Amino acid sequence: MNRPSEIPSGATRPAAFAFGALGLVLLCVGSYWGLVVAPAETYMGDVQRIMYVHVPTAWNAMLALTFAFGCALAFLFQGGWKWDCRLEAAMEVGVVLSMLLCAQGALWAKPTWGVWWDWDPRLTTTAVLVFAFGGILALRTFVDDPVRRGTWSAVAAIVAYIDVPIVYFSVKWWNSLHQQPSTPATVSSAFHLPLRINAFGILFLMIAFITLRSSLAALRLRGELAPPLPEPAVTTALAGTRG
Amino acid sequence: MSGMGVIEGGWEFVWAAYGISAAVLLGYAASLVARLRSERARVRREASRGLEVSR
Repeated sequence: MNRPSEIPSGATRPAAFAFGALGLVLLCVGSYWGLVVAPAETYMGDVQRIMYVHVPTAWNAMLALTFAFGCALAFLFQGGWKWDCRLEAAMEVGVVLSMLLCAQGALWAKPTWGVWWDWDPRLTTTAVLVFAFGGILALRTFVDDPVRRGTWSAVAAIVAYIDVPIVYFSVKWWNSLHQQPSTPATVSSAFHLPLRINAFGILFLMIAFITLRSSLAALRLRGELAPPLPEPAVTTALAGTRG
Repeated sequence: MSGMGVIEGGWEFVWAAYGISAAVLLGYAASLVARLRSERARVRREASRGLEVSR
Protein backbone atom coordinates (compact mmCIF):
# COMPACT_ATOMS: atom_id res chain seq x y z
CA MET A 1 0.00 0.00 0.00
CA ASN A 2 1.20 3.49 -0.77
CA ARG A 3 1.66 5.60 2.31
CA PRO A 4 -0.88 8.46 2.49
CA SER A 5 0.87 11.76 1.97
CA GLU A 6 -0.79 15.15 1.64
CA ILE A 7 -3.38 16.10 4.27
CA PRO A 8 -6.36 18.04 2.86
CA SER A 9 -6.74 21.59 4.19
CA GLY A 10 -10.23 21.14 5.67
CA ALA A 11 -11.38 24.42 4.11
CA THR A 12 -15.12 24.53 3.43
CA ARG A 13 -15.93 24.91 -0.23
CA PRO A 14 -18.66 27.47 -1.05
CA ALA A 15 -19.89 24.98 -3.68
CA ALA A 16 -21.02 22.71 -0.82
CA PHE A 17 -23.46 25.36 0.41
CA ALA A 18 -24.62 26.03 -3.18
CA PHE A 19 -25.31 22.30 -3.67
CA GLY A 20 -27.11 22.19 -0.31
CA ALA A 21 -29.34 25.16 -1.18
CA LEU A 22 -30.12 23.74 -4.63
CA GLY A 23 -30.92 20.35 -3.11
CA LEU A 24 -33.25 21.91 -0.55
CA VAL A 25 -35.13 23.90 -3.23
CA LEU A 26 -35.50 20.81 -5.45
CA LEU A 27 -36.67 18.72 -2.49
CA CYS A 28 -39.32 21.32 -1.60
CA VAL A 29 -40.57 21.50 -5.22
CA GLY A 30 -40.54 17.70 -5.65
CA SER A 31 -42.31 17.10 -2.34
CA TYR A 32 -44.98 19.70 -3.14
CA TRP A 33 -45.48 18.01 -6.53
CA GLY A 34 -45.65 14.56 -4.93
CA LEU A 35 -48.04 15.62 -2.16
CA VAL A 36 -50.35 17.97 -4.07
CA VAL A 37 -50.05 17.70 -7.86
CA ALA A 38 -49.36 13.98 -8.56
CA PRO A 39 -52.41 11.67 -8.64
CA ALA A 40 -53.05 9.03 -5.97
CA GLU A 41 -52.08 5.46 -6.90
CA THR A 42 -54.94 3.09 -7.80
CA TYR A 43 -54.47 0.51 -5.00
CA MET A 44 -52.29 2.21 -2.38
CA GLY A 45 -54.08 5.54 -2.66
CA ASP A 46 -52.38 8.51 -1.01
CA VAL A 47 -50.01 6.29 1.00
CA GLN A 48 -48.03 5.73 -2.21
CA ARG A 49 -46.89 9.39 -1.97
CA ILE A 50 -44.26 8.16 0.52
CA MET A 51 -42.49 6.76 -2.56
CA TYR A 52 -41.35 10.27 -3.58
CA VAL A 53 -39.05 10.49 -0.55
CA HIS A 54 -38.45 6.79 0.14
CA VAL A 55 -37.13 5.74 -3.28
CA PRO A 56 -34.79 8.78 -3.78
CA THR A 57 -33.44 8.18 -0.25
CA ALA A 58 -32.74 4.54 -1.15
CA TRP A 59 -30.97 5.43 -4.41
CA ASN A 60 -28.80 8.05 -2.75
CA ALA A 61 -27.98 5.90 0.29
CA MET A 62 -26.67 3.20 -2.08
CA LEU A 63 -24.83 5.87 -4.09
CA ALA A 64 -23.14 7.28 -0.95
CA LEU A 65 -22.01 3.79 0.09
CA THR A 66 -20.79 3.07 -3.46
CA PHE A 67 -18.73 6.27 -3.27
CA ALA A 68 -17.40 5.06 0.11
CA PHE A 69 -16.38 1.80 -1.59
CA GLY A 70 -14.54 3.76 -4.30
CA CYS A 71 -12.79 5.90 -1.66
CA ALA A 72 -11.73 2.77 0.24
CA LEU A 73 -10.18 1.30 -2.93
CA ALA A 74 -8.49 4.62 -3.74
CA PHE A 75 -7.06 4.89 -0.21
CA LEU A 76 -5.65 1.36 -0.33
CA PHE A 77 -4.23 1.40 -3.84
CA GLN A 78 -3.46 5.06 -4.50
CA GLY A 79 -2.93 6.48 -1.01
CA GLY A 80 -3.76 10.04 0.08
CA TRP A 81 -5.49 11.23 3.23
CA LYS A 82 -8.24 12.90 1.20
CA TRP A 83 -9.59 9.41 0.40
CA ASP A 84 -9.72 8.49 4.08
CA CYS A 85 -11.60 11.74 4.85
CA ARG A 86 -14.02 11.09 1.99
CA LEU A 87 -14.47 7.47 3.08
CA GLU A 88 -15.43 8.55 6.60
CA ALA A 89 -17.78 11.23 5.22
CA ALA A 90 -19.48 8.96 2.68
CA MET A 91 -19.97 6.16 5.22
CA GLU A 92 -21.58 8.53 7.73
CA VAL A 93 -23.90 10.10 5.12
CA GLY A 94 -24.72 6.61 3.78
CA VAL A 95 -25.63 5.38 7.26
CA VAL A 96 -27.80 8.46 7.99
CA LEU A 97 -29.67 7.99 4.69
CA SER A 98 -30.03 4.22 5.28
CA MET A 99 -31.49 4.79 8.75
CA LEU A 100 -33.89 7.37 7.30
CA LEU A 101 -34.75 4.82 4.61
CA CYS A 102 -35.70 2.25 7.28
CA ALA A 103 -37.90 4.80 9.11
CA GLN A 104 -39.69 5.82 5.88
CA GLY A 105 -40.07 2.15 4.94
CA ALA A 106 -41.68 1.33 8.30
CA LEU A 107 -44.16 4.18 7.78
CA TRP A 108 -45.02 2.80 4.35
CA ALA A 109 -45.13 -0.82 5.57
CA LYS A 110 -47.65 -0.28 8.38
CA PRO A 111 -50.63 0.81 6.20
CA THR A 112 -49.76 -1.52 3.28
CA TRP A 113 -48.42 -4.71 4.95
CA GLY A 114 -50.05 -4.22 8.37
CA VAL A 115 -46.71 -4.34 10.23
CA TRP A 116 -43.98 -1.76 10.93
CA TRP A 117 -41.18 -4.24 10.32
CA ASP A 118 -40.73 -7.73 8.92
CA TRP A 119 -37.59 -9.87 8.64
CA ASP A 120 -38.03 -10.00 4.92
CA PRO A 121 -34.86 -10.23 2.71
CA ARG A 122 -34.87 -6.56 1.59
CA LEU A 123 -35.41 -5.18 5.09
CA THR A 124 -32.99 -7.60 6.75
CA THR A 125 -30.16 -6.92 4.30
CA THR A 126 -30.73 -3.15 4.69
CA ALA A 127 -30.53 -3.51 8.49
CA VAL A 128 -27.27 -5.47 8.07
CA LEU A 129 -25.96 -2.61 5.92
CA VAL A 130 -26.76 -0.01 8.61
CA PHE A 131 -25.10 -2.07 11.35
CA ALA A 132 -22.04 -2.93 9.22
CA PHE A 133 -21.19 0.63 8.17
CA GLY A 134 -22.38 2.09 11.50
CA GLY A 135 -20.08 -0.39 13.25
CA ILE A 136 -17.09 0.63 11.12
CA LEU A 137 -17.76 4.31 11.97
CA ALA A 138 -18.05 3.50 15.67
CA LEU A 139 -14.85 1.43 15.69
CA ARG A 140 -12.92 4.17 13.88
CA THR A 141 -13.21 6.29 17.03
CA PHE A 142 -11.31 3.64 19.05
CA VAL A 143 -8.17 3.57 16.88
CA ASP A 144 -5.68 6.36 17.58
CA ASP A 145 -3.15 5.61 14.82
CA PRO A 146 -4.53 7.30 11.65
CA VAL A 147 -2.62 5.00 9.26
CA ARG A 148 -3.88 1.80 10.90
CA ARG A 149 -7.39 3.26 11.23
CA GLY A 150 -7.51 4.30 7.57
CA THR A 151 -6.21 0.94 6.35
CA TRP A 152 -8.45 -1.36 8.34
CA SER A 153 -11.57 0.75 7.87
CA ALA A 154 -10.97 0.83 4.10
CA VAL A 155 -10.71 -2.99 4.10
CA ALA A 156 -13.81 -3.28 6.33
CA ALA A 157 -15.76 -0.88 4.07
CA ILE A 158 -14.90 -3.03 1.00
CA VAL A 159 -16.11 -6.15 2.82
CA ALA A 160 -19.30 -4.41 4.07
CA TYR A 161 -20.02 -3.11 0.57
CA ILE A 162 -20.70 -6.69 -0.57
CA ASP A 163 -24.13 -6.21 1.07
CA VAL A 164 -25.11 -3.30 -1.25
CA PRO A 165 -25.75 -5.42 -4.39
CA ILE A 166 -27.38 -8.04 -2.14
CA VAL A 167 -29.83 -5.34 -0.91
CA TYR A 168 -30.61 -4.41 -4.52
CA PHE A 169 -31.07 -7.96 -5.81
CA SER A 170 -32.74 -9.33 -2.65
CA VAL A 171 -36.24 -8.70 -4.07
CA LYS A 172 -35.31 -10.57 -7.25
CA TRP A 173 -33.45 -13.49 -5.65
CA TRP A 174 -35.85 -14.33 -2.81
CA ASN A 175 -39.60 -14.19 -2.12
CA SER A 176 -40.09 -10.81 -0.54
CA LEU A 177 -42.93 -8.75 0.85
CA HIS A 178 -41.13 -5.76 -0.59
CA GLN A 179 -42.11 -4.75 -4.10
CA GLN A 180 -39.70 -4.88 -7.05
CA PRO A 181 -37.39 -1.85 -7.45
CA SER A 182 -39.30 1.36 -8.31
CA THR A 183 -37.70 3.10 -11.26
CA PRO A 184 -39.11 5.39 -13.97
CA ALA A 185 -39.37 2.21 -16.07
CA THR A 186 -41.59 0.43 -13.53
CA VAL A 187 -43.87 3.24 -12.32
CA SER A 188 -46.56 5.21 -14.15
CA SER A 189 -45.37 8.30 -16.08
CA ALA A 190 -47.54 10.52 -13.84
CA PHE A 191 -45.16 9.70 -10.96
CA HIS A 192 -41.89 10.33 -12.85
CA LEU A 193 -41.44 14.06 -12.32
CA PRO A 194 -41.67 14.28 -8.49
CA LEU A 195 -39.57 11.11 -8.22
CA ARG A 196 -36.82 12.57 -10.40
CA ILE A 197 -36.92 16.04 -8.80
CA ASN A 198 -36.60 14.57 -5.30
CA ALA A 199 -33.87 12.17 -6.47
CA PHE A 200 -31.77 15.13 -7.67
CA GLY A 201 -32.69 17.12 -4.54
CA ILE A 202 -31.37 14.41 -2.22
CA LEU A 203 -28.38 13.85 -4.54
CA PHE A 204 -27.32 17.51 -4.26
CA LEU A 205 -27.90 17.48 -0.49
CA MET A 206 -25.81 14.31 -0.25
CA ILE A 207 -22.95 15.94 -2.22
CA ALA A 208 -23.09 18.94 0.16
CA PHE A 209 -23.11 16.67 3.22
CA ILE A 210 -20.19 14.56 2.03
CA THR A 211 -18.15 17.67 1.14
CA LEU A 212 -18.76 19.31 4.54
CA ARG A 213 -18.22 16.07 6.49
CA SER A 214 -15.03 15.50 4.55
CA SER A 215 -13.78 18.97 5.59
CA LEU A 216 -14.57 18.09 9.21
CA ALA A 217 -12.65 14.80 8.94
CA ALA A 218 -9.70 16.67 7.39
CA LEU A 219 -9.61 19.24 10.21
CA ARG A 220 -9.60 16.45 12.83
CA LEU A 221 -6.89 14.56 10.94
CA ARG A 222 -4.68 17.66 10.75
CA GLY A 223 -5.04 17.99 14.53
CA GLU A 224 -4.08 14.34 15.02
CA LEU A 225 -1.06 14.44 12.70
CA ALA A 226 0.29 17.81 13.87
CA PRO A 227 3.25 17.63 16.29
CA PRO A 228 2.05 18.05 19.89
CA LEU A 229 2.36 21.51 21.41
CA PRO A 230 4.25 21.86 24.70
CA GLU A 231 2.18 22.01 27.89
CA PRO A 232 1.43 25.55 29.22
CA ALA A 233 3.91 25.03 32.13
CA VAL A 234 6.71 24.26 29.64
CA THR A 235 5.73 27.29 27.57
CA THR A 236 6.01 29.52 30.65
CA ALA A 237 9.39 28.02 31.58
CA LEU A 238 10.67 28.55 28.02
CA ALA A 239 9.48 32.16 28.11
CA GLY A 240 11.35 32.57 31.43
CA THR A 241 14.67 31.25 30.03
CA ARG A 242 14.35 33.54 27.01
CA GLY A 243 13.68 36.56 29.18
CA MET B 1 -58.54 -0.17 3.91
CA SER B 2 -61.77 -0.86 1.97
CA GLY B 3 -63.06 -4.35 1.16
CA MET B 4 -61.78 -4.04 -2.43
CA GLY B 5 -58.09 -4.21 -1.44
CA VAL B 6 -57.70 -0.48 -1.92
CA ILE B 7 -56.10 1.58 0.83
CA GLU B 8 -58.08 4.64 1.86
CA GLY B 9 -56.73 7.54 3.86
CA GLY B 10 -53.34 7.04 5.47
CA TRP B 11 -52.32 10.69 5.23
CA GLU B 12 -50.94 10.53 8.77
CA PHE B 13 -48.29 8.04 7.53
CA VAL B 14 -47.49 10.28 4.56
CA TRP B 15 -47.02 13.37 6.75
CA ALA B 16 -44.97 11.36 9.24
CA ALA B 17 -42.65 10.11 6.46
CA TYR B 18 -42.13 13.60 5.03
CA GLY B 19 -41.76 15.09 8.54
CA ILE B 20 -39.12 12.54 9.57
CA SER B 21 -37.26 13.09 6.29
CA ALA B 22 -37.20 16.87 6.81
CA ALA B 23 -36.18 16.52 10.46
CA VAL B 24 -33.34 14.07 9.72
CA LEU B 25 -31.93 16.00 6.74
CA LEU B 26 -32.14 19.43 8.41
CA GLY B 27 -30.93 18.02 11.74
CA TYR B 28 -27.93 16.37 10.09
CA ALA B 29 -27.12 19.59 8.19
CA ALA B 30 -27.26 21.57 11.47
CA SER B 31 -25.08 19.02 13.26
CA LEU B 32 -22.49 19.19 10.46
CA VAL B 33 -22.32 23.00 10.60
CA ALA B 34 -22.08 22.95 14.43
CA ARG B 35 -19.31 20.30 14.41
CA LEU B 36 -17.38 22.22 11.73
CA ARG B 37 -17.61 25.45 13.72
CA SER B 38 -16.44 23.75 16.90
CA GLU B 39 -13.50 22.09 15.09
CA ARG B 40 -12.51 25.42 13.47
CA ALA B 41 -12.57 27.08 16.91
CA ARG B 42 -10.29 24.32 18.25
CA VAL B 43 -7.87 24.79 15.34
CA ARG B 44 -7.79 28.58 15.98
CA ARG B 45 -7.11 27.99 19.71
CA GLU B 46 -4.28 25.57 18.90
CA ALA B 47 -2.84 27.99 16.33
CA SER B 48 -2.82 30.87 18.81
CA ARG B 49 -1.15 28.58 21.40
CA GLY B 50 1.47 27.65 18.79
CA LEU B 51 2.15 31.33 18.12
CA GLU B 52 2.63 31.94 21.85
CA VAL B 53 5.18 29.10 22.03
CA SER B 54 7.12 30.39 19.03
CA ARG B 55 7.42 33.88 20.56
